[in-house]
Amino acid sequence: MEESMNGSSFWQSWGTNIRENLIASLVIGLSLVGAVVVTVGGSPSQLVNSIVTGGMWALLAVGLAIVFGVMNIPHFAHGESFMIGAYVAYFVFNPLHSYLQDHPNGFLEAVAPFAAIFAAPLVGFVLGAMMERLIFHPLRKRTREQWVMNTFLLTVGLGFILINGTNLVLGPNFRGIPRYWDVEPAQFLGVRISVDRLVALAIALITIAAFWFFLRRTRTGRAIRAVSQDETGALLVGIDLDFIHTLTFALATAMAALAGGSLLFLFQAYPTVGLVPLYFSWFVVILVGLGNVAGAVVGGFIVALVQTMTQQFFGISWGDVVPVIILVVILLLAPSGIFGTEIKGVLEQ
Amino acid sequence: MLEVKDLNAGYGFLQVLRDISLDVGEGEFVALIGPNGAGKSTTLKTIAGLLEPASGEILFEERSIGGTPAHEINRMGISFISEALNLFPDMSVRENLLLGAYTVRDPQQEQAALEFVLGLFPRLREREDQLAGTLSGGERKMLAVARGMMSNPQLLLVDEPSLGLAPQLVLTVFKALEELRQQGVTILLVEQNVNTTLKITDRAYILENGEIALQGKSADLLQNEHVRQAYLGVA
Repeated sequence: MEESMNGSSFWQSWGTNIRENLIASLVIGLSLVGAVVVTVGGSPSQLVNSIVTGGMWALLAVGLAIVFGVMNIPHFAHGESFMIGAYVAYFVFNPLHSYLQDHPNGFLEAVAPFAAIFAAPLVGFVLGAMMERLIFHPLRKRTREQWVMNTFLLTVGLGFILINGTNLVLGPNFRGIPRYWDVEPAQFLGVRISVDRLVALAIALITIAAFWFFLRRTRTGRAIRAVSQDETGALLVGIDLDFIHTLTFALATAMAALAGGSLLFLFQAYPTVGLVPLYFSWFVVILVGLGNVAGAVVGGFIVALVQTMTQQFFGISWGDVVPVIILVVILLLAPSGIFGTEIKGVLEQ
Repeated sequence: MLEVKDLNAGYGFLQVLRDISLDVGEGEFVALIGPNGAGKSTTLKTIAGLLEPASGEILFEERSIGGTPAHEINRMGISFISEALNLFPDMSVRENLLLGAYTVRDPQQEQAALEFVLGLFPRLREREDQLAGTLSGGERKMLAVARGMMSNPQLLLVDEPSLGLAPQLVLTVFKALEELRQQGVTILLVEQNVNTTLKITDRAYILENGEIALQGKSADLLQNEHVRQAYLGVA
């Protein structure tokens, strides 16, 4: 009961358990050393790339953490929200882009990408709310026995249907764009960073900060945290659980779709594009402990750095092997994650 | 204010309450006492909307509320302080209290309620920024009662506030309930601490095996032969 899954516990649990603190400090310290090694040994731009990717993993992992914390759903269709976001951004941006090629307009060219990027979370929000209402809500009303296992299977099946449904309707073609903004890369301390990457990073950071503020400081955000800490208590103070569940799922889906939309220049839209983001965001939540929202942000950047370092020192083909090895080590040595959050949710209280 | 008529309720196939009838008038302080497993908590949970009645009627201010979901019951002006307390352990005392006023949309009213409960429990004011999970047992009870008061309820349902508390703290909690009652709050109290309860309440119902065995003025029940033998340990 002392430590649990909402954000505040991350700071609270700091200082309560020496063993976990040691592991956490070790991992964070190693990551900082890794960051220096990548910068010196490789190139600064690789560090920038890991930061951009890290922001996106964080955006996805925060969604996973909140869905597990509030609804106890191990969400394995989260990558498909990313995929949907990528498609939405593509189908909004492409017609705008071809129109602007015939009718050049500097202002619209700067704004059109934003329209595409922000259409993604809007569609994600609506689809997320629908998924919750049509799939998880009816199951919750029927039975809560074996809830975690049932919803795990449901989300895996949902992901399967979304991937193959997309394949059926849109085909397996890759739909991508070379860049959102056709302008010179920005120069920053001698490093050239494309505007697309800068914007993607800014969007991730602003969204995470806004979400953090929402959870900590608003009435509804507080209600979401309340549900994750004590469901009966939340009911007794007058919180409508159905509303909070739908909202939580919709927000998580919107954030994943936002990630898909803003990374379209890096990940082209195709049916299985969500799998890699899904695996890496699960890597993040296992690393920091399920349901730990604040930890998910830190973890996103650590995982991205691990990826970059692996690719740099072991070669691209080892990119998936090393993270999996690290995952096994984490599960063996610190199964509740490096921040020592207790894995528990509404059903275990 | 509250009227329960021929209520039957329980968990799944297990029937706990059999044709319970009781009523609580406006401004009254009523106790529901009885041995373990008699159905006291079940009665409160059913009124609060956490359990659905199998049959019977629950009327609150002449409106039937049986089977209404718990979060809507709270909005109607009934606040349930459960035995498990159901606090939010990773939130500060202040945040717990603010959530108690979740249904209060007016910030001024919310602030007034906060001042009122912090005045009632000065201990909580000292602990305002501390996490609820790190409070002592007595402080947690106070926080639960205070949180229940934050929505300005007309009716307070309190389940075993003295459970697991040191005698000194039991007195503090009972004093707080008496003070609330003087403020005009109607209270239905479930207790095992029969002696003290009968001394501070107006009327009491005695629940045994899911049925109302006895009822009457608390002062009279203190003199009742059955009550004295079964609950007060007087031969």
